[in-house]
Amino acid sequence: MRTRVAIAAMLLAATAYPFLVPGVYPLGIGIITGALAAGTVGFVLLLGYAHQLALGHAAFCMIGGYASAILTVQRGWDGLAALLVGAVLSMVLAWLIAAPILKLRGFVLAMGSLALHLILIVAALELPFTGGALGTYGVPKFSLFGLELRNDLAYYYVVWAIVLAFVVVGLAIDRSRIGRALKAIAAAETAALSVGIDITRYKVQMFVLAAGMASVGGSLGVHYLRAMDPNVYGFTFSLNFITAVIIGGLTSIWGGVAGAAAVTGLRELLRGLSLPLWEGVIMGALTVVVLIAFRGGLAGFFALVYERLLAGKREVKARVVAPELSALEPVQSAASRLEVNGAKRSFGSLTAVNGVSLTVDTGSITALIGPNGAGKTTLFNLICGYQPLDAGSVSFEGQRIEKLLPNEIARLGIARTFQNLQLFETMSVLDNVMCGHHRFVAPEKRNREMARRALAFVGLQDAEDVSPGELAFGHQRLVEIARALALEPRLLLMDEPASGLNDSETERLAELILRIAALGVTILLVEHDMRLVMGIADHVVVMHHGEKIADGAPDLIRLDAQVIGAYLGSEHAAA
Amino acid sequence: MDFTVFLQLLLPGLTTGCVYALVALGFVLCANVSDVVNFAQGEYVMLGGMICAFLLGFGVPLWLCIMLATLSGALLGALQERLTLAPVRHSPYFIQITITLGVAVVLRGVALIGFGKDPLSMPGFSGDGVFEVAGAVVSIQSLWVWAVTALMLAAIFWFLKFTDPGRAVRACSINLQAARLMGVDTGRLTLAVFAVAGAAGALAGVVITPIVLANWDAGIAYGLKGFIGAILGNFRAPGIAVLGGLGIGVIESFAAGYFSSGYKDAIVYGLLLAYLLVRGGVFVFGRLALQAR
Repeated sequence: MRTRVAIAAMLLAATAYPFLVPGVYPLGIGIITGALAAGTVGFVLLLGYAHQLALGHAAFCMIGGYASAILTVQRGWDGLAALLVGAVLSMVLAWLIAAPILKLRGFVLAMGSLALHLILIVAALELPFTGGALGTYGVPKFSLFGLELRNDLAYYYVVWAIVLAFVVVGLAIDRSRIGRALKAIAAAETAALSVGIDITRYKVQMFVLAAGMASVGGSLGVHYLRAMDPNVYGFTFSLNFITAVIIGGLTSIWGGVAGAAAVTGLRELLRGLSLPLWEGVIMGALTVVVLIAFRGGLAGFFALVYERLLAGKREVKARVVAPELSALEPVQSAASRLEVNGAKRSFGSLTAVNGVSLTVDTGSITALIGPNGAGKTTLFNLICGYQPLDAGSVSFEGQRIEKLLPNEIARLGIARTFQNLQLFETMSVLDNVMCGHHRFVAPEKRNREMARRALAFVGLQDAEDVSPGELAFGHQRLVEIARALALEPRLLLMDEPASGLNDSETERLAELILRIAALGVTILLVEHDMRLVMGIADHVVVMHHGEKIADGAPDLIRLDAQVIGAYLGSEHAAA
Repeated sequence: MDFTVFLQLLLPGLTTGCVYALVALGFVLCANVSDVVNFAQGEYVMLGGMICAFLLGFGVPLWLCIMLATLSGALLGALQERLTLAPVRHSPYFIQITITLGVAVVLRGVALIGFGKDPLSMPGFSGDGVFEVAGAVVSIQSLWVWAVTALMLAAIFWFLKFTDPGRAVRACSINLQAARLMGVDTGRLTLAVFAVAGAAGALAGVVITPIVLANWDAGIAYGLKGFIGAILGNFRAPGIAVLGGLGIGVIESFAAGYFSSGYKDAIVYGLLLAYLLVRGGVFVFGRLALQAR
């Protein structure tokens, strides 16, 4: 509903503008704003959704601009064809750069993209076919399918139609599995990995898409300016992108449109007041203030106003009802056996896990116990893929997995929960759980249904609209378990699921774990709570000082002298 | 290779490299204590030069100009931290880092309004003379640049190695979280480090201005080249960052001398891009990617 209102408002504003502010100059401003907006809509996806800062994004405007100028002037191409060639070129180049660079942490894409931009500026000055510092002149008016748009008003509408198309693409991504994955990455990368989301892949995708949109914006601008030279899309233009989407609002696609309009509007205003030098200070200061005080920017402000004025307040309720026992289907799996062989991991001189071997049999509940600092969590991370093994192997269903990444392991049907809750705080409970279903590419309806069933299975079917932070701690744990179940796992790894729970909650947790096992899910549990472990585990593995000291049925472990020694001190074991 | 030509390129390269080295060091120190990559780092160099040259134009004695410019760098660095980073310490890093970019834009804008569009010049500290090293001609101001940089590096590394707050900075660089838990007051430390980085940048800007002029939009270039040094040091190792900064200055000078000054930037940034692509494409694979910070 809100989206439809926003689209209608944008259509109305864009259509009415040339009539409300008639004249050649204002129309030109409208066209330039549209060309900028085409790029900023993509840039919101990059900066606001993928959280990647690109300092040289105007590089792609340059590619689009030169492709359009050179192909139409020197080859007599159709404007639309040249624009598309520029966009494809930009996207290929963006992919070539981002795919390796985004594997590096830190904000190196910012520099990588800037380096590309500066290299392109030199290339534009020196290459034989760009026209050097003078640039390429006499670019024809835009034409599509052989039809030349002689009338600027018609061109204005074409530009804004393209902007609208980009907005629709952006909104579709926002609501899709990819958008959800991006929000999950932004909220908690570790947890995103645990449900099979490939972080680098989605960031690269957004960079490539943003590059294509910036390129189209660059082409559109050049057909209005009728000339292209190295200064048209310089460093300041890259800064423009950044300030525009921040002022417009990072958290919504509409921020791109609002930002482009605000930035050009502000510039014209300052020109009118004869204060053009103040542009930098004001834009910079606005950027800082918005980021500190109101991250939603203009788009967030409009959304807030709309909600206050027009939409009634939504009532959210959250209560735990009796779990639906039959909400989830049993798992079809022949042999979900996990085998760890001689796993070793050292940190400096400390050997946290020293040659541990263990087996989790299909359909069993195996518990890994040991005193603090025994190396349980490290071993857990080695199995889930969060840390590399120094030696040893891990295999699941006969396949070696010790080299796989956490997201690849999750995609095999291995789910995990975290000792310190890792929920996506910015998303609703339902969306959190839907993220769990990420490894299946399914229609949204099916994803939602699966998530609802997982919530029902843990007894949280009434909490789907609230944000996880509003729930009690014990219920947040259940959300995490539901998210893991939405992955339809064959193996579930739980890292201290009872920590922070009171007695009755722990009891319900034990019952829940038994029900999960009854579905046919194999379970490995790292746990401190001995009552929980002894009550439900079929098999117990005990670690101490990085080594396995015992392995067997709970009753035998209870009597093991070494285990008692490890837990209570050796004098008790002797006594 | 003609040795005189070699020296004639190497020595001025080292001079600009000194500025990049100090900027790189500023980047690394700020990142160590706050995990924030401060994109405004280069602007302090620009402001230092601008303020000093501007004051000198009013007949203020040179030593006072230098002190005031350096102090302004420290004050602005501290203000940046207090006003724009302290309030968002718990926000995602990408927000904090983007804020520093906004601050950079503001500082550029302030310089443009305050000091004007035209570059400012100032005479060398001890005249605009030159001296010869094996046939290569070097400005005497270069000696000042080298001396001031060496002194500043010595002071900062001494601070890191032998003082309590210095040890705290190094602890933060290894594990910020653990340092916090061990009682390091990272808030105050961050404030101090931003002030020091601002002062170092501003002083670098002061000493280089007699050679290259001070221009309102020069901060970006200083920042970027210092950033390259910081990337080489992985935003963790101050020593490598300093060497990286010096190296960038030298490479840039050779690129300008042996190819053309038009290609200078393309070569430096081309090398950076190649370095990033190779490091990401070849050396980061598997679970190592999750470890690298």
